Amino acid sequence: MKTQLFKLSVFVQKINRQHVQFAFALLALVLFVLGAGAPADSALGSR
Amino acid sequence: MILLTAILAGMASGLILARVQKRTWTFPPLSGVWLVIIGFLPQFIAFYLPATRPHIPNLWVSVGLLVSQVLLLLFCWLNRRLAGIWLLALGLVLNLLVIAANRGFMPISPQTASQLAPQEIVESIPFGSRVGYSKDILLMPAQTHLEWLSDRFLLPKGLPYQAAFSLGDVIIALGAFWFTASEGKPFRIAGKNIKEAECYRPRRINPPSL
Repeated sequence: MKTQLFKLSVFVQKINRQHVQFAFALLALVLFVLGAGAPADSALGSR
Repeated sequence: MILLTAILAGMASGLILARVQKRTWTFPPLSGVWLVIIGFLPQFIAFYLPATRPHIPNLWVSVGLLVSQVLLLLFCWLNRRLAGIWLLALGLVLNLLVIAANRGFMPISPQTASQLAPQEIVESIPFGSRVGYSKDILLMPAQTHLEWLSDRFLLPKGLPYQAAFSLGDVIIALGAFWFTASEGKPFRIAGKNIKEAECYRPRRINPPSL
């Protein structure tokens, strides 16, 4: 448990401003294409 | 799914290109991300969230979809200097036009819908009705305005995943690919470089007149 917490803290320390910006911009692009696009898939009838 | 594949393919291409050129790949810098989040919110509530989507009247859904896409268009305007954004905007405008012309939903013909869902399910949907909780409305091609912009294209048969998509979706996918692969580099960068180079060009100094 302690080792896992230590690994988690090391991982969190490695996250910097650039990583957050990247994640945020990628999220924006994903949301944009989902919002702008309107494809219909095989779940059409079940939704 | 097909649009997310375009983003992944663009990122993979950008990473490979950057590695070949021995530099680091960076995600294009975006402005007005909050507009996308606010713009997507009505769609998330109306199409994706199982707890809310059955309770929203179709009229509200169609109005929400149009407002949402206008906000996304505003986001494109804020980022218009980035490569690929104009393609994303063009695809969005085409989808917005056909949606606005057909009661606020993306039209799909029964013939196309029957390629995605069992025939009996498609037959149970009355013409002119929204298809489930999706963005689509079932319309005969003759009743569809701007039919050439509707969900009329299908992925090749034999693929495990089937989808119908519009011309706007194709252009959005191309834009997403270009945007991520090119790292959103502005079109005018070459022109700017020329201007900057001109700034550093040694000027001819006239000898002082005596």
